[in-house]
Amino acid sequence: MTAQIKKMFARTQSGVSWLQPWLMASWLLVLVTGPAIPVFAAGDAERGAEIYTVRCALCHGDEGDGMGPAAERLNPPPRDFTMAQYKIRTTGFEEIAPADADLVRMIHDGMPGTAMPGWGDLLSEQDIDDLVVFIKTLAGLEEEEPGKPIDYGNQVAISAESIEQGSQIFHDDDRCSECHGQGGKGDAVKKLKDDSGYRTWPRNLTKPWTFRGSNDPRDIYTRITTGIAGTQMPSFDDPASENRLSIEQRWHVANYVNSLAKTDKVVRPENTVIRAVRVEGRVPTAPDDPQWQQALPSTFLLVPQLIAEERFFTPTNDTITVRAVYNEEEIAFHLEWDDRTRSIPGDKAAEKIADPEISEDMVAIQLPMALPRGTEKPYFLYGDAAHPVNLWSWHSGTTDSAPRVSLRNARGRADTIERDPVAVGLEGTGSYRDGTWQVVVGRSRVTADPTQDLQFIEGAFIPVAFSAWDGSNSEQGSAHTLTTWYWLLLKPSPGNQPWLYAGFAFVLILLLELWWARSAQRRRRI
Amino acid sequence: MSKVTKGLEIPRLLQAALVIGGIYLAFWAVFDLLLGQPIPRSLMGMYMFFVVAGVFMVFTATEQSTRELVGPIRALVEDPSRRALRNVVFAVVPGLAAVGIFLQMQPSDEAPLELRSIHPAPPSSVKIFGKRYDLMSLENPYRHLEKDDPEQFRELVGTGGEVYIRNCQYCHGDKLDGKGPYAQGLNPVPLNFQDIGTIAQLQESFLFWRIATGGPGLPKEATPWISSMPVWEKFLSEDEIWQVILYLYDYTGHRPRSWGHE
Repeated sequence: MTAQIKKMFARTQSGVSWLQPWLMASWLLVLVTGPAIPVFAAGDAERGAEIYTVRCALCHGDEGDGMGPAAERLNPPPRDFTMAQYKIRTTGFEEIAPADADLVRMIHDGMPGTAMPGWGDLLSEQDIDDLVVFIKTLAGLEEEEPGKPIDYGNQVAISAESIEQGSQIFHDDDRCSECHGQGGKGDAVKKLKDDSGYRTWPRNLTKPWTFRGSNDPRDIYTRITTGIAGTQMPSFDDPASENRLSIEQRWHVANYVNSLAKTDKVVRPENTVIRAVRVEGRVPTAPDDPQWQQALPSTFLLVPQLIAEERFFTPTNDTITVRAVYNEEEIAFHLEWDDRTRSIPGDKAAEKIADPEISEDMVAIQLPMALPRGTEKPYFLYGDAAHPVNLWSWHSGTTDSAPRVSLRNARGRADTIERDPVAVGLEGTGSYRDGTWQVVVGRSRVTADPTQDLQFIEGAFIPVAFSAWDGSNSEQGSAHTLTTWYWLLLKPSPGNQPWLYAGFAFVLILLLELWWARSAQRRRRI
Repeated sequence: MSKVTKGLEIPRLLQAALVIGGIYLAFWAVFDLLLGQPIPRSLMGMYMFFVVAGVFMVFTATEQSTRELVGPIRALVEDPSRRALRNVVFAVVPGLAAVGIFLQMQPSDEAPLELRSIHPAPPSSVKIFGKRYDLMSLENPYRHLEKDDPEQFRELVGTGGEVYIRNCQYCHGDKLDGKGPYAQGLNPVPLNFQDIGTIAQLQESFLFWRIATGGPGLPKEATPWISSMPVWEKFLSEDEIWQVILYLYDYTGHRPRSWGHE
């Protein structure tokens, strides 16, 4: 219900007033002439064209060819409507025209994981119908009958058996795993391009919030059946393909893909504090140490570095999951992020799937050099002159050099000093498996020179931020993804103090009560 | 001292409790439920302190009302026939206090509160593009074309749109609603220009200042160190900034504020 109220609010706030007279007029016309003449029944291409010019042309281009002024800065690029290729379709892969409802859905709900927002709050249903008619004219489809919908047969309910069968079909002959990876994370083994020559990345199936449709099995079934037009995702209902699957098999795969959702890697915007867990004994140094499971994971969004020169627009990494563990002497971070490519400069296979120039994969932890007094923090992008930061980086290595950690102090982007990580005991280890990096970086909580390094004290809220580089995506230097400031808390054990104070309060209040009752009794006797 | 209650009269003590509870619920309903922006616990504590103090002042305004307020409590302690109830209350009250204190003493996981001013007062003049601008008198040099040359004005709005889509939509969104593809990863979140509380309340000179000097150009009360707004004078020309401002107002249908009246 709250969502509805919010939607109502959004609608009234945005109020697109210039459309109102039009709608009113059309209603009046309907009322006067009666329903016999359907004025806007199927949408009006001319009105659609007007709306398109205002709302869509900046991305999709005046001609609808996807060549708007921001085309090369968007990843994925805006759709080219002249090619009649629509990602979400419920019509068979050989059908020429899409179903209007599919186009309506894409405009109304938008395309998650892209720059295409849902327009349902700004445009009326009539507006969207008009747009759909116009968009079809861009591909010359105005005279075409809508395509026939695909056959859904009998939906197979989600069950352990169905998921197991789906998994087998997924992995048999590398049918799906060839592109989507063994674990479904879309870890690339070959370079994929769409029909326009743009690089495309197979979907990471463990992150359903990036699905353009949804991860409802019915939506997944539809995508498997129709393929994704213009990309290398084929139809698995193509009679000419040796990979063709039966309806039942496709339902099993849909159920398996649905089961891949990794819920512990969902970003929860209200979670801004990484709670470091205190352990007795050694802090884990291996990325797969089971001790890490004790620490609560916090997942943060990675955004491209759009802020300072050189701005970077086309990232591949999208989230990072952080855990932290400490003991009396040491602290260590466990960083985990999905990266489709292991980038090893010098390695032939890695260079083949990388966009040049390949460089190392990298991750960095940013900490204030000194704990901020009051609310004033260092500038979140590499600090500033008055508030320097420590940058702990881990580099994945090349064929010539082993993985390593590095340490820098920064007073803004232009002013960084390289330091010796060994001097402060900064250490790091990384491992890459099935499209995921796991890196552990840590050092002792206090260092010899507290004016140069942050000292990790218990109970303080310590600002912390992260950056990641995908070396196969031409990310190096200022081209990377980053998070804003979050908090790290080394949560001290409260000890027995709370018990002590609670007990003290209990006794004190009880005594006061008794005193009151007694004095009241005495007064009555008098 | 006991007054005969007529009909449905609610005891004063219960009234006070109901008023306080009602206000708390109203806060919750408006901010948590409706707006989806829960008030931080520490701030809520402050608000409720004033609410309780205010209610107490109102309910103890006269001697009569004070007596009515504390009457039931005194009766509980002093009336021998209510001894059983009294004993229960006497055990529960310190128990609740102990639990409260125990929970209070647990180290907090809640992030520190960061208050910031969203529309800080602009400086009277500011240096941008190596020139000094008087923000009090600065006007959009293209605004007059809206009347004088509508055709050229449309063209400039169009150019502003191109500047916007190439540079701003990643955060502020295609719909100018502050929900661009990367908006959620930023804190503070990008401004929603469709909202009646943002550019509709501001002069174009304010926007010029905010765009040109970006996050680092904010005064301290607006926490420049966390703002993700780039310093646009490094990326855009003066003309492009004025054009993108034209676009913001044109697309949202808002009017910029001005000193003069038209």
